[in-house]
Amino acid sequence: MSEGDPLLRVRDLKVGYEVRGDLIVPVEGVSFDLNSREVIGLVGDAGSGKSTTALALLGMARPPGKILGGEVYFEGRDLLKLPDAEMRAIRGRDIGIIVQNPRAALNPMLRVGRQIGFAYRAHNEVTAGEARAQAIEMLRLVGINDPERRVEAYAHELSGGMAQRALIAMALSSTPRLLIADEPTSGLDVTIQAQFLDEMWQSVQKTGSAMLMVTQELGVIANFCDRVLVLHKGRIVEDAPVHQFFAAPQHPYSQEVLRFYHERASGYPAQVTGGAGFLQTLGLTKHFPLRGSDKVVQAVDNVTISVAKGEAVGLVGESGSGKTTVGRCLMRLEHPTAGSVFLDRQDITKLSAAHMRRMRSRMQIVFQDPFDSVNPRWSVADILVEPLRVHDDGKKADRWDRAVAALKQVDLDPSLMARKPRDLGASTLQRINIARALICNPDFVVLDEPTSVLAPRARNSLIALLARLQKELGISYLFISHDLTTVRYLCQRVAVMYLGQIVEEGTVEQVFTDPQHPYSRALLSAHLMPDPTHRRVDNPLPTALEGEIPSPIDVPKGCYLASRCPDVNEVCRANPQTLIDLGQGRAVRCERVLGGENSSQMEVAQ
Amino acid sequence: MAAATQELMPEQATYIPPAHRADWLMRIGVSIVTLVIFLAIFGPYIGPYDPTRTTIRIAVPPPGFTEMPRLFWAWIDGTLDHPPHWMGTDANGYDIFSRVIAAPRTDLKIALLANILSLIAGIFFGLVAGYWRNWSTELLIRVSDVLQSFPVFIMAMVLVALAGRSATNIIIALAFVYTPIYLRLTRAEVLSQTSRGFVEAARAMGNSELSIAMRHVLPNSLTPALIQSSVTIGFAILLTAGLSFVGAGVRPPTPEWGLMISTGANQIVLGEWWPSVFPGLAISLTVFGFAVLGNALERRYERG
Repeated sequence: MSEGDPLLRVRDLKVGYEVRGDLIVPVEGVSFDLNSREVIGLVGDAGSGKSTTALALLGMARPPGKILGGEVYFEGRDLLKLPDAEMRAIRGRDIGIIVQNPRAALNPMLRVGRQIGFAYRAHNEVTAGEARAQAIEMLRLVGINDPERRVEAYAHELSGGMAQRALIAMALSSTPRLLIADEPTSGLDVTIQAQFLDEMWQSVQKTGSAMLMVTQELGVIANFCDRVLVLHKGRIVEDAPVHQFFAAPQHPYSQEVLRFYHERASGYPAQVTGGAGFLQTLGLTKHFPLRGSDKVVQAVDNVTISVAKGEAVGLVGESGSGKTTVGRCLMRLEHPTAGSVFLDRQDITKLSAAHMRRMRSRMQIVFQDPFDSVNPRWSVADILVEPLRVHDDGKKADRWDRAVAALKQVDLDPSLMARKPRDLGASTLQRINIARALICNPDFVVLDEPTSVLAPRARNSLIALLARLQKELGISYLFISHDLTTVRYLCQRVAVMYLGQIVEEGTVEQVFTDPQHPYSRALLSAHLMPDPTHRRVDNPLPTALEGEIPSPIDVPKGCYLASRCPDVNEVCRANPQTLIDLGQGRAVRCERVLGGENSSQMEVAQ
Repeated sequence: MAAATQELMPEQATYIPPAHRADWLMRIGVSIVTLVIFLAIFGPYIGPYDPTRTTIRIAVPPPGFTEMPRLFWAWIDGTLDHPPHWMGTDANGYDIFSRVIAAPRTDLKIALLANILSLIAGIFFGLVAGYWRNWSTELLIRVSDVLQSFPVFIMAMVLVALAGRSATNIIIALAFVYTPIYLRLTRAEVLSQTSRGFVEAARAMGNSELSIAMRHVLPNSLTPALIQSSVTIGFAILLTAGLSFVGAGVRPPTPEWGLMISTGANQIVLGEWWPSVFPGLAISLTVFGFAVLGNALERRYERG
């Protein structure tokens, strides 16, 4: 290998499989180069062949797939022509791979330390004791607290973020020169995603290796990648430096992917005036009793929110913050432990069961998983007509027409009426869920992470649809999400939740441009904007929150964030914080916002 | 997450069925079951002899394999004075072949009716016990646990002994012992379906609990019980035969496999193996056929 040659040179790589005699080629001729210290993002739609390509670089294909041809030169040698034994030596030692779904990738029967040790010993002549020491060292390197204890943990004892880090530790243990990461952050919370990618990027820079990252998230690309490869129908249709890709995408497919972000970049949604408190909760609290003890899980703690008529309010926070439980209490799918929920001045927590059923035509919910929320045996027509039948709404003869109209309203073709859910994709099905929620003309809809299982392109068009429907129909939304980009696009106001409490609320513009609460600041700084002009890797790292969300069983005595807050002091460690109203609909649960003087006085008093 | 992986599939992908190893098993099961059903309908009419009438030829052994073609052609040509006894005759002079193919009418009728009764009862109680969980449905489960802990055969024997030997009583006894199986299967499925999103969605839509249970939960919870029923029919046939064998089943001279084995059993020590072995083979084949069909169905439908 001469100086200046790329680390990895891929030429005309083809992967295909045979189905009943027909040859299907999902990857047909992929070529690109990858240099040392470079981070490349491989983007493309679902089914474009991204993961297949990533695996094929290691000479692997998922059965019944086969690598049909092409060359993969790694440090001057064609991997596809190497004997199996040499290929295995390269896998894991020189090329590391990190796959999607970290928990499934760890062996549940083995302690984490042993698994990392096995990976290390596969390529290095060391004793079990030395491998264990190396495993501890690697876990420390990827930022796991207390690695001596964690090496003894099993996969189920780790959180998603920690499992992902254990996987990187395994991939990095033999200091590979190339790292392939297949959607490494899907399913992680934004704060953990950012921390994780920071660590990966730093380790690539430190060891002088290179990384190929398969992802659909433009935010990840913009902030961490140097170059972008766009894969479309099994071919590379664009290969551009990241700045050029975002500024002037060449291929029509790339242009379409980016269009949503360019449209959205123009300002915030206009505020809604009047009709305040159309939906209103007062001191909403939900505790779940723990079996076999008198302790409770404090899922929702004294939450007061209000949604005006025709307004969209976003509810954001990490997983485990209680946002879904709030939505379920609003729909009376859970009965709150304390507090009330008013819809149009009626306290729905006090309605009789029969009255509540009638009330349900005015309030609806769209769930996270589109496949799970429709009866798998019913046709689309049955699904859409059901609410009309339940509420005996309109003439029977008209119901079919109303279902067709509802389909058209969500931009679907009426020919879908006879289809069963299993024939449909996630995004189509989620549109049907929305159509079903809207068919009785409700005033208020809870959207519980409706886009989280969708691919980014489908997600964007669904959010655009929701925004359009709100404008046309004047519905109120409570939009529950951990994806800040969609909240910023769809909502007028936003409430940030942490451990069952609202820690900050205000208009989207207020909260996004000037977050006051330390938790909101951390959440926003971890948010990856799909904009390469302020790349995360070019700037000093913002202060991240330490550790993970505390257990909602034993909540901290003082401020709930005290154990993770960068600005913590003795006062807030000891005293519970109240939500302080700053006027103009703005409220923050941190006494430091009252001004430096005030808080310093308090410190003096202490 | 299931949904996340499904999203990776292109929309409306053409369905490619996996290469079913279950396919040839399914074919064997379907062939045997079809044959048994055919015999249940036409069996008593197509045999060479009346299955409930004795002949004057007692304890005739079946012809050897080498002799069969000659006998067959002689029978076709009309040179024989009586049709051949393909499986011999028993100590009373009954033609065993005619009785073996006439028996499915009795056996299948009992098994099928018992099965339908227990399916209905089991699914009903399973739905109730799975959907409305409180102390009374909990009690129902415990009672069915107790019933299930008795050996099925002893239980059925006692029930028939108490109520008297008749086809109706055997059907009721079998239905009684099989209901707990369907109850458990259905309840387990109801429990898992109840936690699914579309049930929540139906509730959020304003459906009453009864309507959610009947329209959404019930139709999605039937599969395990229906699949099990194929296997259970096979075992119900075995149990019917077993009851006859110990004298708690149908009365002679009704053609019934268990009864035939029982009457033939005394002669086995004399070297007369044929009166018992042929009905025994028929039972084995039938139970095997239903079991294989049940297995194949399970593989095809359980995996969704």
